[in-house]
Amino acid sequence: MTSISNTFDPLRAIFRKQLRHLIRYPGEMVFVFIIPYLLTSLVIAMGTSVAGPQAFANFAAQTGSNLNPFVFLIIGAGVWMVSWVVMEGIGTLLREEQMKGTLEQNFLAPINRFLLLVGTALSQIVITSLLFAGVVGVSVLVLAPQAALGLLVSYGILMIGLIPLFGIGFVFAALVVRFKEPYAFTQAANILFGVLTGTFYNVTFLPVWVRTISAAIPQTIVIQDMRLSIYSINGIVGGFGSILVLLAMAIVYPTLGYYFFKQFERRAKITGDLSKF
Amino acid sequence: MDPIEVHSLSKNFTVKEGAAFRKTSKTITALEDVSFSVKKGEIFGLLGPNGAGKTTTIKTICTLLQPTSGEVRVNGHDVVKESQQARQDLGVMLTGDRTLYWKLSGRENLEYFAALYHMNRAQATKRIQDLLKLVGLDERQDTLVENYSTGMRIRLSFIKSILHEPPVILLDEPTMSLDPQSARLIREIIQNMRRQGHAILLTTHYMEEADQLSDRVAVIDHGKIIAMAPPSELKRSVMKSEVIEIEAQNIDPQIVEKLRGIPSVNEVVSTIQDPSSLGGMVKVHSNDGKNTIPEMLGILVKGGVEVSNVKIATPTLEDVFISLTGRALRD
Repeated sequence: MTSISNTFDPLRAIFRKQLRHLIRYPGEMVFVFIIPYLLTSLVIAMGTSVAGPQAFANFAAQTGSNLNPFVFLIIGAGVWMVSWVVMEGIGTLLREEQMKGTLEQNFLAPINRFLLLVGTALSQIVITSLLFAGVVGVSVLVLAPQAALGLLVSYGILMIGLIPLFGIGFVFAALVVRFKEPYAFTQAANILFGVLTGTFYNVTFLPVWVRTISAAIPQTIVIQDMRLSIYSINGIVGGFGSILVLLAMAIVYPTLGYYFFKQFERRAKITGDLSKF
Repeated sequence: MDPIEVHSLSKNFTVKEGAAFRKTSKTITALEDVSFSVKKGEIFGLLGPNGAGKTTTIKTICTLLQPTSGEVRVNGHDVVKESQQARQDLGVMLTGDRTLYWKLSGRENLEYFAALYHMNRAQATKRIQDLLKLVGLDERQDTLVENYSTGMRIRLSFIKSILHEPPVILLDEPTMSLDPQSARLIREIIQNMRRQGHAILLTTHYMEEADQLSDRVAVIDHGKIIAMAPPSELKRSVMKSEVIEIEAQNIDPQIVEKLRGIPSVNEVVSTIQDPSSLGGMVKVHSNDGKNTIPEMLGILVKGGVEVSNVKIATPTLEDVFISLTGRALRD
């Protein structure tokens, strides 16, 4: 067999297996789909109750954005949800496989571990893209139909922005293999990322030292650039530099994440952690 | 070069014990200086009680664990330095039925693993159909594994391990939890694979199975190989003793221990099979079996043990284990 089919056949098989599982366990997808709407509604209700009838005007003045507040917020919530699925997905799926006893079976196969992780991640891309299209796309088209073109650009930004997240996902996967508590890590990180990346506000509100940390998180750039591109297709022109930063992150983060994972895998082979529940 | 070569393999684990903040580390030796090889067309049995090191040996050979010291080669590939090549030549069935995806059908499971083992799609489809038919799962191939019985899952797990026709096969308790017919079928397939030239390493609790299938057996206890030879040779080593099997109720271990006081008795072990009646089996290895039976029975009956049957038996691999360790395999 050629090395291309040696790579793509397992990748395709992992992808299909993940999709089959998602289709056969549909509850989580439904849950993930409605979360951004609930979160956005919560923030709008809170804002309106605090600011009264001037809430939307205040919001525009404070953020400097003329986007419909619901669209502004749901972009943040949508990216946050997508990030959650990708980062947590890789780690928790490995944990589920460990609990089920199938992780060892995958590790017995003569494939590169990177393929295993990427295959798992690829299925997350498809699912999250569909979810994102449903959540954000519908909201934009209903509330800001003039931004349809910007919406397409924003999907492109999201796709680039997902790649560095796999690196963070690989780190979670390594921690899961080692500590077997995926939710403790991923949920803490998700909430922290929600605060740092400006999910429901502009990061310009944050203190300078916090913004420095925010800048290292890919979602911060994704959320900002998506809001810009949806507001105006020209808005993204000013953001090309940030897309280059995202592309650099897309190379560096997965490389570092995989290196981290390999270190933990090596340790698991010494301790027998793979088969411990 | 043999398909499996294990040289001076040792494996230590560090375990933590005690309550939080007071944990202490302890090193446990799971394998100590284990050496053996498995030839092409040979079934090599690894026999020992739970915790003896059988599964650790298999997991080290199949690259899931890294040796603390020593060297393991699969078809010439070092399992640490060339793990991916070693895995391509290995088919592994680990214990239990939770080695499959329960939300996939039997066929989908096999298709998935065929792809992971780089099988050509057309060849994989034919091979999957042949194997499903071989183990009687062809008519249930599209049923989700969650709806399979335990026996069906173990049969599927077994054919998954031989799917890519690996030259080296590791089977960890392949017939555990199987009904007698299914177990017989699996044993027949294993014997066929031997004839085709596969090198097979088999671990089992079942002495009869190890005896029937294995060309050579290694007896492993506390992480060390304590005997290694063909089953007939191992059994011959205990032939100088007669094996007396006493079926009884109300077995009192202290009374049984008194049998060691009889000069011709070499080993005594008792196994309780029914805890409510303390019913089970007392096995005695004696140099002068027939003549010491009356004395044995006298001690047992006087101690309140209710003897229901006595027979002089042919030595089994279990007797080999008893003579080597002074314990029964299932202790």
